[in-house]
Amino acid sequence: MKQNDPSKIDQLLDLLLDALQERQAARGRPFAAIETPPEPENPVTEAPPTIPAEPEAAQNETLEAVLAEPELPEKLPSIQLDRMIGRLALVILALIVLVNIPYNRYGTNLARAMPDAQALVIRDGLVLKGSGEEIYVLENNHKRWISSLDAFTYYGYRWEQVNLVDDDFLAQFPSGPALSILYKCPTSPHVFAIENGVKRWIKDIPTFVEQGYVWDDVQIVSCAAIERLPSGLPIPPDAGEPPSP
Amino acid sequence: MIRELGVIETILRNRLFFFHEIRDGIDLQRKLRAMLISSLTFFALYGAVMGSTHSLWQALSSAVKLPVLFIATLFITAPTLYFFNVLFGSNQSLLQNVALIMTAVTVTAVILLSFAPITLFFLLTTSQYQFFKLLNVGIFAVAGSMGIMFLIQGMRIVSNVGTEGERNRRWVVRLWMFLYAFVGSQLAWTIRPFIGAPSIPFELFRQLGGNFYTNIIASIGEILGFFIVQ
Repeated sequence: MKQNDPSKIDQLLDLLLDALQERQAARGRPFAAIETPPEPENPVTEAPPTIPAEPEAAQNETLEAVLAEPELPEKLPSIQLDRMIGRLALVILALIVLVNIPYNRYGTNLARAMPDAQALVIRDGLVLKGSGEEIYVLENNHKRWISSLDAFTYYGYRWEQVNLVDDDFLAQFPSGPALSILYKCPTSPHVFAIENGVKRWIKDIPTFVEQGYVWDDVQIVSCAAIERLPSGLPIPPDAGEPPSP
Repeated sequence: MIRELGVIETILRNRLFFFHEIRDGIDLQRKLRAMLISSLTFFALYGAVMGSTHSLWQALSSAVKLPVLFIATLFITAPTLYFFNVLFGSNQSLLQNVALIMTAVTVTAVILLSFAPITLFFLLTTSQYQFFKLLNVGIFAVAGSMGIMFLIQGMRIVSNVGTEGERNRRWVVRLWMFLYAFVGSQLAWTIRPFIGAPSIPFELFRQLGGNFYTNIIASIGEILGFFIVQ
């Protein structure tokens, strides 16, 4: 600003730089963009220039920086939002605990107090019971009758898994093979499915596989124990006379 | 803890100052720590609310999984944003990028926390699993959109305005947001369940199969009565 004959652009630049310097000084940090450029290695000693020391490119950069910097609005005063959020978080934590506390001896709590009939997700392994005594398990869109209490426990089902549904709902699924306990005596190759206390001979391996069984499910019991059970229809029913265990 | 929550007020009410400080690299680590603690807490709370529909175990599981989901998504996708920004002339550091994304994540977490009472209300007054699932998808979409708005604003301030490649960097941010949403939804599908189907016993992780998008369409179909979700 102490030039003898400054041009208008220089005056404008100086004004902008002054304003920028003041603002940066108010923020309490140095302003890097207006640092004096380093002295050239071979300075010209005679007749120092009367124009400002900053090169024109640096001036343009500074102008761009000044023009690009939007003026920050006044910083808004605190409304103690941190405390409010902290309290909200504590209230939600308390509610989470509250809705998860069981309020009766069956372990029912507020979060799961609503009946869940509408919330059934159809999937393999879903245990269903209609108005009758029979309990079914869904497998590949078929309902498989669990043929005995032994089979129910053997296959790892629990009473709390049983979903009571309407008979109409059950009827939409075609019946698959029954799910039974499998017995085999050590000295015989024959496998029997036990349904309601009655043994049913499974004709051959393809039938065994077709029924959805696996060899791990076959329990080895004494031949006498199998012989004591009354015989039912073989699987399939037209398989012929069942052999002795 | 309350002290760390102060960052929320700065982000929500004085965001321009906050973004300028990120641009200038002021107190980045303190900011990141505060945002991380705040967002982890809020995500954990919201996760617990979601999981409470099923069981206490599910509530605890979701309280851990939801923060993991967001932080893991951040770590997976942040390098892409950083390197593409560098490629198009950005001079931000990786820490500045992470701070900006964490700002978006923190805003998302705060919005989710603000929705927690509504989720709790529906948890207590409805039992329809598919509805509850879609309600949460909607809430996450709203919260995520708000976070993204903050990210776009922050990126605009933090990146060098007027420098070369600015237009390209804006496109990078826009495309990266889709990537972030895509990775996030896939990760969410991988580490599900967060709510837990009522007829299925508690499981930490469910078998893989299907995908997030078809499941949402199926849920909408079930609510409208077109079919039953298998």
